[in-house]
Amino acid sequence: MIVIDKNKLTDLLDALNQSYQVIVPAKSADLTQFMPYDAVKEKNAEIILNENTVLSPKWLFLPQSEGMYAFWAKNKKLEIVDLPSDLEKMRIVFPVRHCDVQGIACLDKVFLDERHVDGQYLEKREKTVVMALMCNNPKDSCFCASMGVDRAHANNTVADVQVYDLGSEYAFEALSDKGQQAVEAIKALGSEKTVAVPEVKEQKIKVNIEGLPEKLSGMFYDSIWDSFMFKCIGCGTCAFICPTCYCFDINNKIRGEEGVKLRTWDSCMFDEYMLMAGGHNPRPGKKERVRNRFLHKLEYFYENYQMMLCTGCGRCLRKCPMNVDIVKFINQANAK
Amino acid sequence: MKVANTDEIKRSNDLEPMVGKIVEILEESTDVKTFRISTLDDKKPFSPLPGQLGMFSLPMVGEAMFSVTNQGENYIDMAIKKTGELTDALHDIEVGQEIGIRGPYGNGFPLDYLKGKDIVFIAGGIGLAPVRSLIMHCIKNRADYGKLTIIYGARSVDDLCFKDDLFNNWPKVENCQVYVTIDRPQEGWDGHVGFVPDYIKEIAPNPQIAIICGPPVMIKFSLPALSGLGFAGDDVITTLELRMKCGIGKCGRCNIGHKYVCLDGPVFTLTQLNEMPNEY
Repeated sequence: MIVIDKNKLTDLLDALNQSYQVIVPAKSADLTQFMPYDAVKEKNAEIILNENTVLSPKWLFLPQSEGMYAFWAKNKKLEIVDLPSDLEKMRIVFPVRHCDVQGIACLDKVFLDERHVDGQYLEKREKTVVMALMCNNPKDSCFCASMGVDRAHANNTVADVQVYDLGSEYAFEALSDKGQQAVEAIKALGSEKTVAVPEVKEQKIKVNIEGLPEKLSGMFYDSIWDSFMFKCIGCGTCAFICPTCYCFDINNKIRGEEGVKLRTWDSCMFDEYMLMAGGHNPRPGKKERVRNRFLHKLEYFYENYQMMLCTGCGRCLRKCPMNVDIVKFINQANAK
Repeated sequence: MKVANTDEIKRSNDLEPMVGKIVEILEESTDVKTFRISTLDDKKPFSPLPGQLGMFSLPMVGEAMFSVTNQGENYIDMAIKKTGELTDALHDIEVGQEIGIRGPYGNGFPLDYLKGKDIVFIAGGIGLAPVRSLIMHCIKNRADYGKLTIIYGARSVDDLCFKDDLFNNWPKVENCQVYVTIDRPQEGWDGHVGFVPDYIKEIAPNPQIAIICGPPVMIKFSLPALSGLGFAGDDVITTLELRMKCGIGKCGRCNIGHKYVCLDGPVFTLTQLNEMPNEY
């Protein structure tokens, strides 16, 4: 592995910035999120490495708002044109914690499903090098280990480079060809060493998901939903900060005779989400919507793709204004 | 499900429609029109199986999923009821209008399973639109299917869709019987009056396969009528409609449990429906 002193962080990012667009976690406008390194420098923002960001890195692959195609319409005529790619350079994102790496693995299941591969998503995945960081300072609200995330080794279908935090140094191990190229670009800043995988600090929250999807498949009509929907105000915060919530809406941006079709983040927590022309709404209340979100994460997605759509990153526990708590839900469901 | 290897996949945007044009518009009822759609070079936009769906758009207004009710050598037909923002705008367009079209989506009716069997088609209102794709398929391939029985109801004579088929074309098809009813008596109507579920009991078709589509209240009362006649869960087949945005099981909107209507449906058997949460 290549071991580089943490004091050389700026050199490391500058070296990568020569051939990549570097994306780093940083604090801007009081919000921690993944930002281009150039913007960080320009805004004099602070790079945040000691804790996970409020916003997940999912926007790198599924932007909050993304053009799909442009159109021009006048009288009876219509033209539809492709939009050019907005990725000029290869991107590299450093560092992504294992919970968020797992989040990307979830998105891959949906957008790279071989029945309908999403071209725009695929391009972003191919043009991005993911440097995964083994995280040994979990927060009290983190529970990735319980959700099946390997804390020592990132999901290697996504991670191109595995990074270990050795205290005063980082160790880099390439996991893919893309990753190897990235490691080559920073090799000169450090030295080759044999490194033992560091010990990880245990997480406070432990939940048991053994047999949970099967159990929940029999709980659609259970009374548990009556109490869980009570606090939810349907604000959608949980979905927007979640690294795996991927539902999207399709919208227009129109100016005169021209327009762009956009896909934008959406949330099944919104009451208009399923509202049909004519007024029928199959999930008319909070109970139905909270139930759908939890069951999608813990049962439906598992049935379709054999993995949970929750990575235990803990963001919703930290940010839900009403403390709707997925861990508490799992524990109560298990106790039923 | 297997996830694709990125090397194998050609880059594409499945959500981008092709440009098509309206070549004919038929007035079916007071609020239903059939739009005949071809590509700009007069070809069929795509070849759906009976029961499959297409995403139809006026990009300035919006995009929505409709069943393809029929197809010809160089066109597909969509029968659309005026119910909302997009369908209001669609009802104002004229022949020659260029539109966005993409598809086909969904599973369609299980043709292999239906082959050689007697089929009773039951529809209410605009619910005849998706069912019609299968009726037309059975008529075009008449020798492959048994007796065809069509039971159709609407609120009034004005609300009956596909009148030419109901009263002229279909009754002439070999071994095909058509029963039409309206909800309330009406001047000039000497046909049957009454609701579809009661009419089913009256006609009492022999159980083999029932294809049913219509408003929820019709479905609700027709299902007991069918089981009373001895139809089994696997032999009652319906087609569902939910709000859809992508059509390929990604935008998340049309799920019922872990199934997506746009991908795993819209055609489901009663047995399948009974296993799914009742969220439709």
